[in-house]
Amino acid sequence: MQTPQDDLQFDYKYGFSKPENYSFKAEKGLNEEIVRNISKRKNEPAWMTEFRVKAYKIFLEKKMPDWGGDLSKINFDSYYYYIKPVKDRANAWTDLPDEIKDTYDKIGIPEAEKKFLSGVSAQYESEVVYESVTKLLTEQGVIFMDCDSGLKKHPEIFKKYFSTVIPPHDNKFAALNSAVWSGGSFVYVPKGVHVKLPLQAYFRINAQNVGQFERTLIIAEEGSYVHYIEGCTAPIYQTGEDSLHSAVVEIIVKKGARVRYTTVQNWSNNVYNLVTKRTRVEEKGFMEWIDCNIGSQLTMKYPSCYLMGDGARGEVLSIAFAGKGQHQDAGAKMFHFAPNTSSRIVSKSISKDGGRTSYRGLVQVRPGAKNSSVYVSCDALILDPQSRSDTYPYMKIKESDTNVQHEATVEKLGEEKIFYLMARGISKGEAEGMLVNGFIEPIAREIPLEYSIELNRLINLEMAGSVG
Amino acid sequence: MKFIHLNHEKNTDITLTEPGKYVAFMKNISGEFIFHMEAEKIDLEIYGVFDGKNQDDFRIHTVQHHAAPNSISNLLIKGVFDDESKFHYTGLVKIDKNAQGSHAYQKNQNLILSPAVFVESEPFLEIEANEVFCTHGSTTGKLNEDDIYYLRSRGISDGDSRKLLVDGFLDEILHKLKSEHNTTI
Repeated sequence: MQTPQDDLQFDYKYGFSKPENYSFKAEKGLNEEIVRNISKRKNEPAWMTEFRVKAYKIFLEKKMPDWGGDLSKINFDSYYYYIKPVKDRANAWTDLPDEIKDTYDKIGIPEAEKKFLSGVSAQYESEVVYESVTKLLTEQGVIFMDCDSGLKKHPEIFKKYFSTVIPPHDNKFAALNSAVWSGGSFVYVPKGVHVKLPLQAYFRINAQNVGQFERTLIIAEEGSYVHYIEGCTAPIYQTGEDSLHSAVVEIIVKKGARVRYTTVQNWSNNVYNLVTKRTRVEEKGFMEWIDCNIGSQLTMKYPSCYLMGDGARGEVLSIAFAGKGQHQDAGAKMFHFAPNTSSRIVSKSISKDGGRTSYRGLVQVRPGAKNSSVYVSCDALILDPQSRSDTYPYMKIKESDTNVQHEATVEKLGEEKIFYLMARGISKGEAEGMLVNGFIEPIAREIPLEYSIELNRLINLEMAGSVG
Repeated sequence: MKFIHLNHEKNTDITLTEPGKYVAFMKNISGEFIFHMEAEKIDLEIYGVFDGKNQDDFRIHTVQHHAAPNSISNLLIKGVFDDESKFHYTGLVKIDKNAQGSHAYQKNQNLILSPAVFVESEPFLEIEANEVFCTHGSTTGKLNEDDIYYLRSRGISDGDSRKLLVDGFLDEILHKLKSEHNTTI
């Protein structure tokens, strides 16, 4: 028997909260007037105002999902739906208010910027406050800005694709996001352009009870390539009140294009993380989702690929870690609509100290998706008797010329391996950390080095209460 | 060894309270087949064979519920589906908190022979103990063209090759029952 370790007493590295200093704060709760007000304050065109109002009505009609995690404690009237952090957008790092800079310094944004000259867009509260796009990107015709600016500066592209992959009708939280969305990224990569360095954006929730509803829209034209990275850390609040993060991410991968979307999600343990992410993949396009969920109290997120064109490919690599009081309900969805399409889902999950991980996945092979193939592999580690792991795969196959494979294992850490490492003078906690890091390594090696180092450290922290 | 032919059982919500070896078998049937394992040292094997033709529509649900420690359950369901047949499988391996030392296996393999077939496979796991080993697997696909090519290169006709491969696929279970448990269906 493995002895469960004590509750982790380390200080949450990113658990700091700054005094609130906002130029405009909406009232708590949601009604049609607030929705119209958000649109008015953003000076949006009439079609967007109408879209928001329509989405709000759909949100009211839609039922809460009755599957997955426990959503019964969510009280939609207790959140703020729109907060504008500073009066004007900062153009340079030095223009940012000190407290915001300080917060970012602790997460390491300046280093990130130095290392990746590609561009940094950091979201503090509901709007992007700092944004720098290198000359190179602009010269290549790449658009990378916050979604609100995208709507104003590139209305033709924006309107053509917005909400085409995830309509408000999709689910209650997509409808909510459609009604009150704010911030997020707008990325447009022209035909044949390869963006060599990853584009990155950080999201943080700071004011208590702020719902963050960012909206991201990525369009990769024919033969283009882009890697987008989203990293989240959020402060812990003393009051123990919860907050809500409900994003919508829409991606369009055109013929022969490739998009990679990496997420390192480390929200503090009072956040509900309910996110809808979906890609439409056209002929010979390739979409890769790399999804790491470490934080939040409840995550429900299933990045999906609609493989619409001949030879389209989709991939989801997913890591979930659930500690005390956490439930990670994560997975993937793959829809095969066209011939010669292939998909791969690899999921690794770890539950500890009473945490619960659930893999939930859907694979559909539609009639006509000839010569298609699906591979799904889920591995789960349960580290102590209090924890739980579930696997819920759904496979619906309506085509004979296909090959669908699914496999899953659930087990504990090998005692012999721990014994071997301990016999070499390594402490039990360190040995467990090494084994868990080895377990997720096949996915961790796919993400950029500094993120995988951060992930590695987070796992060691969670496992042993100390970093290396 | 106790043999349970599920096609002949009126009640298929079965509670096992004695240790020992159990083998359950089903063929071309719809229904819910639930096994509660409430004793230690139970070794349960569950086999299913499905041979769907015409408008056959099989819907089955299996539960391997480990309510006591140190038991083993092993499920294997194989199906071949032709014409406009349908197969809907939902399976659950449930391991309770106190059922430490459980081993549970769940496997569903399907062959599709016609474009009008519909197969749905939902093998679920709910694990609340940590000293366990559980795996499940599900494969759905067509006959391997390389296998057919091999047989044809040995002078066997296309039709006979396909029949041989399909029979071999289903025979795995019948062979197991005969060789390991000396049971003929």
